[in-house]
Amino acid sequence: MKPPNFLYARPDTLEDALRLLSEHGTGAKLLAGGQSLVPMLNLRMAEPKLLIDMNRVAELSGIERENGKLRIGALTRHRALETSREAAQAEPMIARAAREIGHLAIRNRGTIGGSIAHADPSAEWPLLAVALDARVELRSTARTRTVAAREFFTGPFTTAAGADEILTAVEFPCAPQQSGFGFQELCRRPGDFAIVAAAGRVRMRDGRCIGATLAIGGADATPRHIAEIDRIVAGSRGEDAVVREAAAAAARVLDPSGDIHASAEYRRKMAAVLVTRALREAFASVAANS
Amino acid sequence: MDRPGTTAKFVGARVRRVEDPRLLTGRATFVDDVRMPNALALAFVRSPYAHARIVSIETEAARSAPGVRAVLTSPEVEKLIPPLRMEHRSSFPAPPCRSVEWPVLARGKARFVGEAVVAVVAADRALAEDGAAAVEIEWEELEPAVDPERARESGAPLVHEEWPDNVFQKVEFAAGDIEAAFSGADLVVSERFRTGRHMALPMEGRGIVASFDPASGMLTVWASTQMPHVLRAEIARVLGCAENSVRVIATDVGGGFGLKSHVFPEELLAAALARELGRPVEWIEDRREHLIASQHAKDQIVRGELAVARDGTILGLRAHITCDIGAYTEYPWRTFEANVTAMAMPGPYKIPAYAYTTVSVATNKCSIGAYRGVGQPIGVFVMERLIDIAAGRLGIDRVAMRLDNMIPRHEHPYTTITGDQIESGSHRECLQKAVAMMADDRPLQASGAVRRGVGFASYIEMTAPSAMVWQTLGPPGSGSEPAMVRMETDGSVTVALGTNSQGQSHETVFAQVAADVLGLDPANVRVIQGDTAATPRGWFAGGSRVAVVSGGAVIRAAQKVRDKILRAASRMTELPAAELDIRGGAICRASDGAPLAELRDIAEAVWIGRAGLPTEEDQSLEFIARYEPPPMTHSNACHAAEVEVDMDTGIVKVVRYAVVEDCGTILNPMIVDGQIQGGVAQGVGSALYEEVVYDENGQILTGTLMDYMPPTAPDVPRVEIAHIETPSPFTVGGIKGMGEGGAIAPPAAIANAVADALRDLSPRVTQIPLTPERVLAIIEGKSR
Amino acid sequence: MSTPGFHQRIRFSINGRIVEREVPVRQTLADFIRDALGLTATRLGCEHGVCGACTVIVDGASVRACLMLAVQADGAEVRTVEGLAQDDELSPLQKAFLDHHALQCGFCTSGFLMTATDLAAHGAGSNETEIREALSGNLCRCTGYANLVDAIAAVLKEQAAKRE
Ligand SMILES: Cc1cc2nc3c(=O)[nH]c(=O)nc-3n(C[C@H](O)[C@H](O)[C@H](O)COP(=O)(O)OP(=O)(O)OC[C@H]3O[C@@H](n4cnc5c(N)ncnc54)[C@H](O)[C@@H]3O)c2cc1C
Ligand code: FES
Ligand code: FES
Repeated sequence: MKPPNFLYARPDTLEDALRLLSEHGTGAKLLAGGQSLVPMLNLRMAEPKLLIDMNRVAELSGIERENGKLRIGALTRHRALETSREAAQAEPMIARAAREIGHLAIRNRGTIGGSIAHADPSAEWPLLAVALDARVELRSTARTRTVAAREFFTGPFTTAAGADEILTAVEFPCAPQQSGFGFQELCRRPGDFAIVAAAGRVRMRDGRCIGATLAIGGADATPRHIAEIDRIVAGSRGEDAVVREAAAAAARVLDPSGDIHASAEYRRKMAAVLVTRALREAFASVAANS
Repeated sequence: MDRPGTTAKFVGARVRRVEDPRLLTGRATFVDDVRMPNALALAFVRSPYAHARIVSIETEAARSAPGVRAVLTSPEVEKLIPPLRMEHRSSFPAPPCRSVEWPVLARGKARFVGEAVVAVVAADRALAEDGAAAVEIEWEELEPAVDPERARESGAPLVHEEWPDNVFQKVEFAAGDIEAAFSGADLVVSERFRTGRHMALPMEGRGIVASFDPASGMLTVWASTQMPHVLRAEIARVLGCAENSVRVIATDVGGGFGLKSHVFPEELLAAALARELGRPVEWIEDRREHLIASQHAKDQIVRGELAVARDGTILGLRAHITCDIGAYTEYPWRTFEANVTAMAMPGPYKIPAYAYTTVSVATNKCSIGAYRGVGQPIGVFVMERLIDIAAGRLGIDRVAMRLDNMIPRHEHPYTTITGDQIESGSHRECLQKAVAMMADDRPLQASGAVRRGVGFASYIEMTAPSAMVWQTLGPPGSGSEPAMVRMETDGSVTVALGTNSQGQSHETVFAQVAADVLGLDPANVRVIQGDTAATPRGWFAGGSRVAVVSGGAVIRAAQKVRDKILRAASRMTELPAAELDIRGGAICRASDGAPLAELRDIAEAVWIGRAGLPTEEDQSLEFIARYEPPPMTHSNACHAAEVEVDMDTGIVKVVRYAVVEDCGTILNPMIVDGQIQGGVAQGVGSALYEEVVYDENGQILTGTLMDYMPPTAPDVPRVEIAHIETPSPFTVGGIKGMGEGGAIAPPAAIANAVADALRDLSPRVTQIPLTPERVLAIIEGKSR
Repeated sequence: MSTPGFHQRIRFSINGRIVEREVPVRQTLADFIRDALGLTATRLGCEHGVCGACTVIVDGASVRACLMLAVQADGAEVRTVEGLAQDDELSPLQKAFLDHHALQCGFCTSGFLMTATDLAAHGAGSNETEIREALSGNLCRCTGYANLVDAIAAVLKEQAAKRE
C-alpha cells in the first residue's frame, strides 16, 4: 500500500498555487491536511500527476471575525477550530462539530477547507456549512467568487468548484442572540464518520421561535438543508407535535442511499430520530441560556 | 499431581514482563523491522473478481517497469512450488474431508476477490506495486457461489469444478436417544442462528523476510507466525530441501489469535524466490491484503434445537450447522470450524442426547481459519441463547435452569455426551459468583428510550488438545511440546521453548515457572523462543495450549536439572540430596535454609566433570523434556454483561462486564487478567461491531479499516474479573489453558443481555454482530 | 518556489538530531523514518490512517506518519518513541505502561505512547471517559484497553498533581 509516483510542489503563496493548478489542470491535486487524500494515494485510488501542497501558504489559515461573520481560512486545522476561543464565541457549534471529527491525530492535521472540498456527505464541516448557510470562497487565477454552501455540494464527493479553483475560506454567520443549537450524530464508535447527523439552530423571542435552520448529513447525496422544517418550527415553542412533524418532514424529503454501514431505510428513520433530538437540544439550550 | 519441587514463589505472582523494555523503547524486531541489505520486495496482483477465468495475462510492461526484477504467473511459480494440498496423514480415524489444491498463484481461474494472481518482485515495495499496476489481465467473469446455503443446491456454480458439489465435509453425530428426548419434551425451542464472518485482525499483518546463503545452503526466514517449526518443515517440503537447511525466526510477533497458525502461499513463495533469485526477498502484507486475502473466521448458520422438560431439565440437543468455508481450506489443516462449534455446544451442561450435522461449504470467498476459540464462541452463543429462550418460555429463572443442568463438582471427571472427559470444574460456582457480581440495587429498566438488560453465558473452554484431537482435525501435529532447560556454569538458566509468543508473555511466565523449580529469581532465567535454530523442535502456539504443554515441559526439564544439581551438591556437601534445597540461587539445608554452597560452584563442577557424578553419566546440566497432557484440558467460566439499548436507534452499549473464570493453577494473574480483558474486547467486537461483508456478486465491501470495525477504547468495558482455582488433577502443575476464553462468551452474554432488555417484545436475538440496524429490526419485530 | 520534482532534499530534526536527506516525494513520513532512518519503533498497522500505530509528534502535535509525506516534514521537529527514553531510563509513560501491563504483543505500543505524549503535553485531564475518547484513534487488538487507560491516567494524574 504505497502511493503511486507523482510530482510534488510546495508553493509559498496562493498565487503560485493557483498558477500551478491552472498550468497542470486536472492532472494536479491539491494537498491540504492529507487526511482524506493520502489514504487514497496509499490505496492508489487517486493517481495525480502533480501534488500541490498548500501547507506552506500562510495566507490560507486563520480565523477572523468581522461584520457578524466568522471567516475561516481553508487550511485551518480541525483541532484549531475545536480549541479556538474566537470561533467558539462566534458560533459555539463549530467547536462542538470539530470535536466529533475522527481522532486527535486526524484533527491535528485535517483542515476545514479540505473537508468541505472533499464533500463527504457524512462529514461534519459540510453539514455545518449547510446548516448555518455559510459561504464558500473560491479563487482561480482568473477570479474570486463565493458560493453558498447550500449550492456548493452537488453530490457525494462532488462540488461546484472548478478544476482550476482553490477553496480559500469559509464564512460562517455568527450565532444570533437568543438562539440555541442542536448538534446530533449517530455513529457506532466515537470518531467514526456519522451514519446520520443533524445540526440546527433556533432563534427565539418571547418563548417563540422566530427563525430556524436545520440540516441533515449522511441521509442524502449531500448534506441537506430542509427548508420545510424551518417553516414548521418557526412560530412554535418547540412543542412535541411540532418536533414530530419536523422529523416526519425530514423522513419524507430525504433520499438516502444504503451502504455497508446502514441501509437507506435505516438512514431515513435515523434522520427523523436525529432531527427530533437536535431540535429538542436546540430548544433546551435556548431555555438554559436565557 | 506433579508439583514444582519447592513451594511456589513466583508462580501465581504478578511478575512484571521481561518483554516490555524492548517493546516500549521500540527495539523489538518484528518481521518488518528486519533489514537485509539488497532485499527485494514482493507484491501481488490480486483478483478483482470472486469467480473468473483468466483469459490472458500481459506482463511485458510490468517486466520493464523501473526496479522490477521478476514477474511471475502461475506456470512459472508452479515450477518452484506445487499447489498446497492438505492430505489426511493421521493414524487416528477422522471424518473424510475433500482435499483441495490451493495454487500459490491462481491457475486458470480465481476463486475469490483478493486471490493472488501475479507476483512482482522489485527493489522496494513501492516499485513492486508500480509493477503490479502495470500488469494487465483479461478476465471472463463466472457466476460465483456466494451464499453458503444456495451453494449447496444442485446447479450452483462449482468453486472446484472437479467436485460434484460444493461440500468440503459433512459430519454426522448422534448419541443418546434423541428421538425419545424430543418426542417426550414439554418444550422444544428451535431457532436459526446466523453469525458474521469475523477476523482475527492482529495489528501486525502477515509477513516474511527470506534470505538464502548459497555458501552454506541455508535459507533463513523471519516470519510473523505462530508456528515457526511447522513453517520450517513446510518450506523445506515445498522447496525440496532438507529441513536442517531452513531456519525460521519469529521472536517478536505482533499478535496472532489463530490467524498466524497457518502456512500461507505468499510465505512459501517469498522463501522460494529468495533461493531462486539469490537475493533476500520480503513480503510485508499490507492491511488491504490482510482484510481481503489472509483468513476470515466463524461465518456459520446454525439451526439449534433444545428439548426440555417443564421443570427446565434439558433432555436433548440438536444442531445443524452450515459453515461458509470460502474457497480453500486453511493450510496445513482441514476444515474444523463447524465441528468445534458442535463439540462446544453441550458446554457445562448434562445433555442426555445429542445429534448434530455439520456441513462445510465451499464458496467464492476468502478462506476461513482459526481465530481465538475457533468454533466455540458460536457454539456457546447458540446454546446460551437456547437456554435463555427456553427459560423464558417455561417461565422459570434462567440462572436456576442453568444451575440445575450443570455438571456438579463431585461428578468430575465427567464424560460428556460427545465423549469428552472434563477433568474438573466449578461451573455452578462461577455462575453464582457472576450473578452476585452483577447484583445491584438499580431497577432493570424494561421501558423508556434506553433500556437496560443483563445476560449470562457459561462455557467450558477446550484447551491444549492432544495429538488425537489435532490429527482428526487435520494437521500432522502432536499434542506435546518440548522445553530445554540448561543451567550455565555461572548458575544462570536458559530455557528454550518449542513454541513462540505473539504477546502471551511466555518469556516472563516460563521464567517464573523454571525459577520456582530451581529456587532462583526469574531475573536469572532467560527464555528463548521463536528461533528454530536455537529451540527444540515444537509445534505451535494455539488452542490455548502453551501454558499447559510448554509449561509442563519446562517443569519437567527443570526438575531434571534440579535433581542433578542436588545430587552433585550431595556429593560435594556429603549430605543426602533429600536434605538439600536450592533457595535464592544457593544450595542450602532444607530443614533450616542454612546456605551450604554457591549454585555457580556446583554448576561449574558438573560442567567440568568434577562434581563426582558417575563417569558414565552426561556431565552437563542441560535437559530436554517433552510433555503431552491428557487428550484435552478444560477451563470453565461464566461471563455476565449488562447492556443499554437505545430504543430509537438500536445502538447497544456494554456498560458492565464481569468474568468469573477457572483455569486451574494461575501462573501469573496479571497476565491471565490481561488475556481475559483482551479476549473480551475481541468478543465485544464479534458481538456488536465486526463483520466481513460480501455483496451478492462476491465482492468484498470491507477492504479497509473504515469498514471492518474492531472496537476501540470507548467501546470496550472494563472487565471485572474473579477467579476460582480448581487445578487439573491430570496435568503437570494443575495448569489448564485459558488464552482463548475471554473471546468465547461475549457474543452469548451480550446477546442474552440485549434479549433481556427487550424481554417484553419477544425479541428474536439470533444474529451477530448486533448492529444498530439489526437491533432496531428486533425492536420493531421485523427480524425475519 | 521550487520546481515540481520526484525527489526533494529535506532537512528536519528527529528526536533532537538534524537529518538532511533527499527523499522520493511519494514516500510517507512513516516509511522514511523506518526505512531511511532505521527508526523502526514507528509501526505500520494500516497505512490508511485508522490504526494509529504510526503516530509520531510533529511540531508538538500527534499525527499519523502514514498520512504525511516525508517532504512535508521539511523544517519540522519530529519525535518518535526512540526519543522518549533518556539514557536508557524509561520515561514516565513507558514506566507506567510496564507497571500496568499495558501491552501484550507490543505492536500498537509506540502509537499509544505517542498519543499519550500529546495528551500529557497538552495537559489533558485524567478522567477515564475522556482518555478513552482520546485513545479512540489507536487500535489495540491484544489488551482490551483497560490497562492502557490506567497507565495513561496514572501519568496524567501525577502530572496534574505536580502542576498544582
Ligand atoms: C481515520 C479517519 C477518520 C476520519 N473521521 C472523520 C470524521 O469523523 N468526520 C470527518 O468529517 N472527517 C473525517 N476524516 C477525514 C478528515 O476530516 C479529513 O481531514 C478531511 O476529510 C479532508 O481534509 P484534509 O485537509 O485532510 O484534506 P486532504 O485530504 O488534503 O484533501 C481532500 C480533498 O480535498 C481537496 N482539497 C483539499 N483542500 C482543498 C482546497 N483548499 N481547495 C480545493 N480542494 C481542496 C484535495 O485535493 C482532496 O481531493 C477522517 C479521516 C481519517 C483518516
Ligand atoms: S499505519 Fe498510520 S494509522 Fe495505521
Ligand atoms: S499489544 Fe498487541 S496490539 Fe496492542
